Amino acid sequence: MNQEKRIIAGVYHVSRGLGKHFSLEDINLQVANGEFVFLVGPSGAGKSTLLKLMYMDDFPDKGQVVVGQFVSTRMKRKSIPDLRRKIGIIFQDFRLLEDRTVFENVALAMKVTGAGMPEIKKQITDILTRVGLYHKRYDYPPALSGGEQQRVAIARAVANRPAILFADEPTGNLDPVATKNILELLFKINAGGTAVLMATHDIELVRSFGQRIIYLEEGRVALDKEMIFVGDIRDRIGGSSVSESASRLSEYDITGGDEE
Amino acid sequence: MKPGELRYVWHESTGMLWRRKVPNLISVVIMALSLLILITFLAVTLNIASLIEKTSEELRVYVYLDDGVSGEISRDIQIRLMSEPGVDEVAFISKEEALADFRETLGENSELLNAVEQNPLPDSYRIRMKQEYIRSGVLEAMAGRVGQWEGVEEVVYGRKWFERGEKLVRSFYMIDLVLGLIVFLSVVFVISNTVRLTILGSSRTIEILKLVGATNTYIQIPFVIEGALQGVVSSLLAIGMLAIIHRFTLQYLPGVSFIRVDAIVVFVVLCAVIGALGSMAALRRFLKM
Repeated sequence: MNQEKRIIAGVYHVSRGLGKHFSLEDINLQVANGEFVFLVGPSGAGKSTLLKLMYMDDFPDKGQVVVGQFVSTRMKRKSIPDLRRKIGIIFQDFRLLEDRTVFENVALAMKVTGAGMPEIKKQITDILTRVGLYHKRYDYPPALSGGEQQRVAIARAVANRPAILFADEPTGNLDPVATKNILELLFKINAGGTAVLMATHDIELVRSFGQRIIYLEEGRVALDKEMIFVGDIRDRIGGSSVSESASRLSEYDITGGDEE
Repeated sequence: MKPGELRYVWHESTGMLWRRKVPNLISVVIMALSLLILITFLAVTLNIASLIEKTSEELRVYVYLDDGVSGEISRDIQIRLMSEPGVDEVAFISKEEALADFRETLGENSELLNAVEQNPLPDSYRIRMKQEYIRSGVLEAMAGRVGQWEGVEEVVYGRKWFERGEKLVRSFYMIDLVLGLIVFLSVVFVISNTVRLTILGSSRTIEILKLVGATNTYIQIPFVIEGALQGVVSSLLAIGMLAIIHRFTLQYLPGVSFIRVDAIVVFVVLCAVIGALGSMAALRRFLKM
């Protein structure tokens, strides 16, 4: 995958005041296609606020957020759904509909785009197989473990083949084993070409991977650097399955889509 | 809308009704009970109104002629009466007919009349007025005018009784209007709150739908359809309950009529609209519109 580097999400001189905590001050950062970036910082540093600005659930007081062809300062409320269909978002609390099966939860992301049922079935079968939950497709979320629920959420987030996946403390509610599995899954998705921006307060977790890290403290970027690779991350995901999933994930369309 | 999107909206609407059957059922019952109050009130009003109308329809104006008035003058009076505004029908009642009627009214006491040598009753005209002219102002004016005519002794229509009745009807309609408005507003309030509660219960669903890129329209439509359906079902339920009440009432008050079919249709449609509007209003907050 020798694609040239393109910025697919950028935050430029962004400030957002939300009281003493959670406010942001002159933030600058860019995420290129296919990148995996950890957004680290203590609670209250503004990580969630920053992510919210990036998936445009909130808008900056100053500065500009650009994701794909969507620009926060020129954005109409009406086009927010368009943006959401081209990105993926996951949360600490999974945000699944508990009265719908695993399949229906994942299908929702495609249904709202008006996709036909045969296409939805095909795509979801594929995704659920990849996240290892095809056998649980008719189960309801409350019957699943936390790690499994997060995998359903990830499946839903990538159902529309997004260019970038925003993850807000995705392992915050999970035990170490599930945390490791989720991270591996995120790396796998990243290997397929989807950029990942993952917020976490767990510095230890991040330290064990060699990745670009943006450290957020009191609403400012305190550090933004590529950490030294401790070997290839792909070794961590494990052997042959990587190349296979990578090739399949490489079908993902990572461009922002057509202008409307 | 693409066919895929239409299908989605349909699946969401029907699916949602099924998934949330318990809260929906509770809402429908609450709404039906409030609507029952409204519709019962309506039925009572309509019955009283039709009773009033029937009573006023029976009103007749009597024009008594002078004793021994000539046939010519009498015919002249009849022609002039016919051209009076609001007069629907004029019937001549000869003094003999009047006596026979009187005899009948007296029943077994009619022998009293045998003591009277001469027929004391005058010839008269009985006038039926058009419905819209049965108002005290109009009647009084006509009575005054006709009373001046040559050969007319007296014009009688039960003025005191009529005026009192008219006042009663007017105040009844005023009270009815105020009460009806209060009942209507409280029913709308209850329904919109019930709908709001069901939507509050779906705030998470709405949030997630927004997250995955559903447009406001697609989020709204299923809820609006749900609200309208709740309105229809609960209004039908209310009508059903009223029908049972009506059946019981008939045993004690025969002749009480049920609500007309066209009124039922209007009522059901109105409830559907209230339900749909209630949903839309409650959604506005969630969708930041």
